[in-house]
Amino acid sequence: MNQIKSYHISSRPKATIKLGLPISALICYLSLSLMALFYIAPIVYMVVSSLKPDSRVLTDGGSILAFIPVEGSLRNFQDVFRRVSFGRVMFNSMFITGMIMVCGLVVNALAGYALARLQWRGREVVLTFILALMIIPFETIAVPLFYQVSIIGWRDSYHVQIIPFIADAFSIYLFYSFFIGMPRELEEAARIDGAGPWRTLLYIIVPLARPVFATVAILTFLMRWGSYLWPLMVTTGETYRPLPVAMAAFENQVKLWGDIMAFGVMMVAPILIVFLLFQGWFVKGVAASGTGQKQ
Amino acid sequence: MITMTKVQAKTPQKLKTQSRSQASDERTAWIMAAPAFLGLLLFIAAPFIIAIFFAFTNYRLGSPLPLDFVAFQQFVRIFSDEAFQQALVNNSLFALFIVPLQCAIALGLALLINRPLKGMVLFRTLFFMPVIFPMALVAIVWELIYAPGANGILNAFLSTVTLGYWQPLDFLHHPDLALPAIMILSLWQGVGFQMIIMLAGLQSIPQTFYEAAAIDGANRWQQLIHITLPQMKNTIIFVALVTSILAFRLFDQIWILTQGGPNRATTTIIFETVRAVFKRQDVARGSAMSVVFFLVVLAVTLLQRRISRQEREIR
Amino acid sequence: MIRNRFVFYKPILFTFFIMMVSFLLTGCSREKDTDGLGRTIISVWFHTGRPEEKQVMENQVKRFNESQDKIKVRLTLIPEGDYNTQIQAAAADGKLPDLLDLDGPYVYNYAWKKHLIPIDHLLPHEIKKDLLPSIIEQGTYRGKLYAIGTFDSGLGLYGNRKFLSAVAAHIPTGPQNAWKIDEFEKILAALAQKDKDGKVLDLRMDYRGEWFTYAFSPAIHSGGGDLINRDNFQNATGILNGPSAVKAMQHIKVWFAKQYVDPNTDTNSFVNGRVALSWCGHWEYPRYSTALGNDLVVLPLPDFGNGTKTGMGSWCWSITSNCKNPQRAMQFLLFLLRPTEILAMCRANGAVPARKSAIAASTLYQDNGPLHLFARQLEGGYAVPRPQTPAYPVITSVFQQAFQDIRHGRDVKQALDQAASMINQDIKDNKGYPDL
Repeated sequence: MNQIKSYHISSRPKATIKLGLPISALICYLSLSLMALFYIAPIVYMVVSSLKPDSRVLTDGGSILAFIPVEGSLRNFQDVFRRVSFGRVMFNSMFITGMIMVCGLVVNALAGYALARLQWRGREVVLTFILALMIIPFETIAVPLFYQVSIIGWRDSYHVQIIPFIADAFSIYLFYSFFIGMPRELEEAARIDGAGPWRTLLYIIVPLARPVFATVAILTFLMRWGSYLWPLMVTTGETYRPLPVAMAAFENQVKLWGDIMAFGVMMVAPILIVFLLFQGWFVKGVAASGTGQKQ
Repeated sequence: MITMTKVQAKTPQKLKTQSRSQASDERTAWIMAAPAFLGLLLFIAAPFIIAIFFAFTNYRLGSPLPLDFVAFQQFVRIFSDEAFQQALVNNSLFALFIVPLQCAIALGLALLINRPLKGMVLFRTLFFMPVIFPMALVAIVWELIYAPGANGILNAFLSTVTLGYWQPLDFLHHPDLALPAIMILSLWQGVGFQMIIMLAGLQSIPQTFYEAAAIDGANRWQQLIHITLPQMKNTIIFVALVTSILAFRLFDQIWILTQGGPNRATTTIIFETVRAVFKRQDVARGSAMSVVFFLVVLAVTLLQRRISRQEREIR
Repeated sequence: MIRNRFVFYKPILFTFFIMMVSFLLTGCSREKDTDGLGRTIISVWFHTGRPEEKQVMENQVKRFNESQDKIKVRLTLIPEGDYNTQIQAAAADGKLPDLLDLDGPYVYNYAWKKHLIPIDHLLPHEIKKDLLPSIIEQGTYRGKLYAIGTFDSGLGLYGNRKFLSAVAAHIPTGPQNAWKIDEFEKILAALAQKDKDGKVLDLRMDYRGEWFTYAFSPAIHSGGGDLINRDNFQNATGILNGPSAVKAMQHIKVWFAKQYVDPNTDTNSFVNGRVALSWCGHWEYPRYSTALGNDLVVLPLPDFGNGTKTGMGSWCWSITSNCKNPQRAMQFLLFLLRPTEILAMCRANGAVPARKSAIAASTLYQDNGPLHLFARQLEGGYAVPRPQTPAYPVITSVFQQAFQDIRHGRDVKQALDQAASMINQDIKDNKGYPDL
């Protein structure tokens, strides 16, 4: 779809581009390729190193061998499974991120809808409150939040990594701005037919609001998937530990670089596949996070 | 906010026909908003207030001693603490370099990728890819790239490029190079995100502007200066805001790679906070640092608001 | 049309429902005191550094659980990197297990906060008599025993005989004739001259955290200084930043400044023959001896003026105040303290066995064993415990910072001044850590 779009644009200003095309396009490709090299090299290095014997990873760094899988084997991957319960940790990360995404979509969409479409006393107070909370960064509250969850004995569990992150001011804001921009006619027709706010939301609004759901889902994913500080503070063993903390702990144990890189490859591979399949969504989601705040 | 008042003005006529359902609407609205409202109250507002409260006490993690109020003593202490001062300087330095750099690179990439040429989706995918890499992984991969000695990839690369003149360095332990090294890996991971936002901004500029300019005989460079940049102003300001807040939140890379060293060259506000709390059990001091951190972020946000408002008035 | 739209969010609602249910289920599974067979469950935390240790621990738990039918030990493994941070966090919300192993000097802080219980009365006298003096010394806080290690640590210099004889260095035979600091520095200079990159000394800069205090506070002791005044553990100024301590750290700073120290990112600098000397603990002996064979020599640390000193203390076991049945927890600990079990663990990690009877049976540590030096250092008073005070987490944190700063060229006096004042500040903030 994106390719079609770029072709479409290219057909319009043809006249101005026609003459300049070869040279400027060449420069464009050249600079992009240079940049691409900078981007791809660490990734290739990681993948190649994951296939090498541990001792080779560092010694090969001095030559082009760093990017060639000499003595390649899958032994490092076996080692990772032998040394940590990788499946468990992967499940933890997926479960935690998935729960935050799904619960967050429901909870924040409801709040966004109530704020955008329903008349109620206290609405403006709540709206102002939520907008104000948007600027409190998580790092400010990490310490007292830790204290809070410690008192109620929540440490080292799934819920301590999920529940505090379900309600999210920015997600509510995105839903709110999307809902408020939707035409009211459809909704009013449904209300006259006797549908209550729940039915209206479920059958009329939600189906039309897919883009904002996708945006919020992807932004939540990007924000939560790599989170490190909080799980570092609240998890103890491998039981509830998510991938990033497990990775750092793994690196900390013994510096077997081949194993560490294998861990890294296994950690991103599934997400990379999801990303490549749905990358259009990712791009749209991120783009919306910028335009969402622009006005 | 403007749109909100419009909505209010519109509804009353409708409400007359539906007064029957108004009371139930009110209740429904509260039920719908309650879970999110409660969540924000408990997990953002409450801890925020607790942070401010702790900042004025001597609370220590798990201490059996009674809690004392110490007024501004924690703030006096952190501002006379060299490490914290250095953290403020480092965060500012980091922001000072990374914000223009990251905005410029993101905009540059977006401009290039926005060209109607084949294969641009491929480049876009590639540049965005590191965004989905957790920082913990990025940090560890770059730890190897920065490996000291002739076998470090970056050292070997620089030595090849300079035909052997380059003397191998220990980047992450070099007082002048550690922070730039952290900057580069952060850039690598983060620029894709900003690039996409810039790209969206570029694509929302009406094509007719360029067509009109082309008719007037403006060249590519003039179009960039007179159409693209002014049109992109708000997007750029937004990206700058997000990047500077991220710059002040710097932590994961530091914790994993340098632990604030060498010689505090890479210590940051959040790193000092976490260390105060978890290595030295000093929650009160950590809370005071959190409060300072919040004020910094608040200042950056207000500054951005002010700049973008002025821009709008001028236009 | 409406039905068609329903398709879109049905899966979302469905997953939401499933997740809520699984959520409640995971939340409800509480820790139980007994298992299905009526055995008391003892929860145990163990740090995992090297895979071999983990293996032995898992086997020991299995053997113990099979050997009797009253107690079931449930083991949780926690990686070493942020172990202390994690324990502190767990202690804050009362989630400590029945029995756990702690890095020695952290015991006092937990004991002061009453997270641990004294275990003197649970320890049979004949075992206590057989333990190394250093084990008792490290485990005691204000006259009561809170922790027992099944092994102790040894710290020294590993040398590569090939390189040392190339510069004709005399090789010390024991702690009584350790290298004097000037002699040591001459040897470093001579070695550096013959070395390709001039980096001849490995200080294990790939380690982090507690290593710096464990490994380099002996240098300060050897120079006549200390981390804190040990009369009442109330004051560090004038001690940690006193002239003796400053002088000792000055020497270490010079080694860095002269580029003698290998950064050791790959952990192989000694085994690959890049350096001649490695300042390291007993745990590297198996790897080093495999790599160097007969060329490996084990030496005391250099003498900074007051005779060589070394570190002591390692991971040790404590029973927490959460434990409902300390006798049963102690039974597992006594099982671990059997000479055969001690030797099983020490074979895996190379540590010094905690019991004299086990040392006598250990091929590594008995008289004439290759690591006898480490046992001798512990028995002969060359080893100094890290300060037995609840302020230790702060002491070590600021000392680590000071060490890192000095390593990177900061003025020694300045760095230690600041460390000492931060320690004093902490003690003052805690009102001198009074007995509760």
